[in-house]
Amino acid sequence: MNRLNQLFAAKKNNLLSIYYTAGYPALNTTVDIAEALEKAGADFLEVGFPYSDPVADGPTIQHSSEQALINGMTLDHLFGELTELRKRVTIPILLMGYFNPIVQYGIERFCKKAAELGVDGVIVPDLPMYEYEALYSAHFINNNLSNIFLVTPQTSPDRIRKIDELSNSFIYLLSSSSITGGSLQLTNSIEDYYKRIKAMDLKNPTIIGFGISDNATFKKACEYANGAIVGSKFVKLLAEQDYMSKIPAFIQSIR
Amino acid sequence: MKIKVCGLKYPENIQAVAALKPNYMGFICYDRTPRYIDTLSADVLATIPASIHKTGVFVNETAEIITQLIDQYGFDTIQLHGHESPEFCHAFNGKVTVIKAFGVDNDFDFSKLDAYAGEVDYFLFDTKTSIYGGSGKAFNWSILDKYTLNIPFFLSGGISPDNIEEVKNITHPQFYAVDLNSRFEDEPGLKNIPKLENAFDIIKNRTLQMKYGVNEHGYYGDFGGAYIPEMLYPNVEELRQQYLNIINDPDFKAEFNDLLKNYVGRPSPLYHAKRYSEKYGANIFFKREDLNHTGSHKINNAIGQILLAKRLGKKRIIAETGAGQHGVATATVCALMGIECVVYMGEIDMARQAPNVSRMKMLGATVRPASSGSKTLKDATNEALRDWIANPVDTHYIIGSVVGPYPYPDMVARFQSIISEETKKQLIEHTGKELPEYVLACVGGGSNAMGMFYHFLDNEQVKLVAVEAAGKGVDSGHSAATTFLGNEGVLHGSRTILMQTPDGQVVEPYSISAGLDYPGIGPQHAHLYKINRAEYVSVTDDEAMKAGLLCSQMEGIIPAIESSHALAQLEKMKFNSTDNVVICLSGRGDKDLDTFIKYFGY
Repeated sequence: MNRLNQLFAAKKNNLLSIYYTAGYPALNTTVDIAEALEKAGADFLEVGFPYSDPVADGPTIQHSSEQALINGMTLDHLFGELTELRKRVTIPILLMGYFNPIVQYGIERFCKKAAELGVDGVIVPDLPMYEYEALYSAHFINNNLSNIFLVTPQTSPDRIRKIDELSNSFIYLLSSSSITGGSLQLTNSIEDYYKRIKAMDLKNPTIIGFGISDNATFKKACEYANGAIVGSKFVKLLAEQDYMSKIPAFIQSIR
Repeated sequence: MKIKVCGLKYPENIQAVAALKPNYMGFICYDRTPRYIDTLSADVLATIPASIHKTGVFVNETAEIITQLIDQYGFDTIQLHGHESPEFCHAFNGKVTVIKAFGVDNDFDFSKLDAYAGEVDYFLFDTKTSIYGGSGKAFNWSILDKYTLNIPFFLSGGISPDNIEEVKNITHPQFYAVDLNSRFEDEPGLKNIPKLENAFDIIKNRTLQMKYGVNEHGYYGDFGGAYIPEMLYPNVEELRQQYLNIINDPDFKAEFNDLLKNYVGRPSPLYHAKRYSEKYGANIFFKREDLNHTGSHKINNAIGQILLAKRLGKKRIIAETGAGQHGVATATVCALMGIECVVYMGEIDMARQAPNVSRMKMLGATVRPASSGSKTLKDATNEALRDWIANPVDTHYIIGSVVGPYPYPDMVARFQSIISEETKKQLIEHTGKELPEYVLACVGGGSNAMGMFYHFLDNEQVKLVAVEAAGKGVDSGHSAATTFLGNEGVLHGSRTILMQTPDGQVVEPYSISAGLDYPGIGPQHAHLYKINRAEYVSVTDDEAMKAGLLCSQMEGIIPAIESSHALAQLEKMKFNSTDNVVICLSGRGDKDLDTFIKYFGY
């Protein structure tokens, strides 16, 4: 049982997760930000590692990735920063990023190193179910690293069941078919989608992401899922002066 | 998966089906069905190639008559469809292949098959009816999970053009063959050849019939696949499920071929370049894709995909473009069909290819600048993918090369394969042989090269040469020679070879030709490169520009700078005087006049 499973066993509702891009706004801030977010009351974190061609991301996260790359962020560097992680942070941490940097680092080597540093799971948006299951899953499983799958309003019930089977921590529900940084719009069809997923009674908890940016959208998401993820809105905060001191107020404003 | 076509009775139709090379052909020797062979002459069956198993189908027939008909028709397989006992089957065991058929419904008791173990070679599961077979209805295939013997089975009953894709998804380890019958007919016993062809194509695609083709998961060896976010999965899956059905449909083929002929101007000529032949000491042929409407091979794929999009009910088209050739081709076919068109183009490319931007606008397309990243082709592709994520239901994305997630690389290759299909026929007219010694084409993403190679891939004696853009030199830091500079990774949805940093960030390539500066190559090219089926070489800006000028002044043809790369490779090769060499002249040079003028200072 890793930290994610322990968290979900202990807390069923209103889980708040925060996404941020490693190396943005500057190098060597990843663990500082994680520590501040834990103190402010975030339940778990997603640390993005940047990629030159982030097709699933909107302008805010694209920009943070570009800046992080200019700053010199690489997986090697990130793993260097994370050697401090488990001395200072106890909440679960996921790494989130595109597949190509992992391929270059070496998939097995990546999984081993991440697990060794205390990372609990990974979200790789462009590693779909077939390729994960048939080609790469052993490396993740051998290192007790959870792989998180995404589900969208267009994902078929059969596929959701299969995703539920292959998952062992939580399922990431996209609030709509969109890239990151949009705003959560609750149309009837989206509410139906949440209800439909809830009625499936999946074995894994569900967390809603994409378009969660304030208390209203967080609350709404938590009606249908175990929690929600805030990304772009937090990345915008990191562009501000004295962002470290503003983290507690930011988390309060969402809760 | 093996294929059996059953219920044949008409001589000409039998020969047409045999030409499709199924693994089994079934002849019904039971007089109470409309597919009864009756007085069919044994001579007709004698013409069937020995590689096809001739199967006699019987219902509660006597052993004596079965033996007599085996001798008469030369059946090497019998299929027993009545209440034949294990002992009855035993009598034929070792003499012919024995298939025992059962009608299956939700209550079927699979334990009654145990007694047949060791007595039969195969089972055949059909839909249970009050009569013997031939209901044309499918049973609930999920109950096959209850079948646990290790005797392989044929699946029969209601397999149709509509559910053949579902059949492919049955993963039972003993699933051996499909039995195609009544749903592929014009009338009882008369098979519809295009429908069967289509079904064969779908089934064989799963079993890697083409040595260099794609497998059912979209892989060419280690390359390919569909590395896409879940948001794109439904779009790509819809295409994967439908593309072969649609492009093999006779109506589709008719419309596609008509537009290629009357709108694009195909077949494009295969021109014997006499002065070039003298200069290089071989028979040099140009495949004139530059003469196509819109000026390049890109239109072949755009026509194919717009017809496909229409059949998928899509209302809106998006595309990416680098130099603007694919953007113009897409804008053209959208105008032709009256469909909304949005083309993404890097901001930098929009500035350096302004005439093509104007062309697209005049054709009614919206051109949207990609202003992220390096502001060129790869970023235009990213923006188009983001658009598709946001518009998953009504939009089709026309990818312009043999890149992207499966099925794009295979689909685009099929649409471009018309280039080599025509070339083979034209070579016979010119040389009396359909195979040349060499085939050359330039490679950016690789669509003209894949179309030029496609029908020669299995002819191993044909040497295939793919020419990449070396830019200012492969070691200059300004190059697009992907196989020299790249390594394996994932780009735009497929595992392939791409130019990248040690940390896996995609590197911006350079070439004087805007159509070749893509950081990757299509996954099928990556495969052909890795297994050495094609040779990948590179040509610098300077070499290409000189070749473009030479072709203009020796043959009176101003080629695109892309195609000039392929022409430049001739300088580096040694030929025998009898060699036939085909070069794909993928596009014309009008769009490159500014670049030529600046380069040569005219």
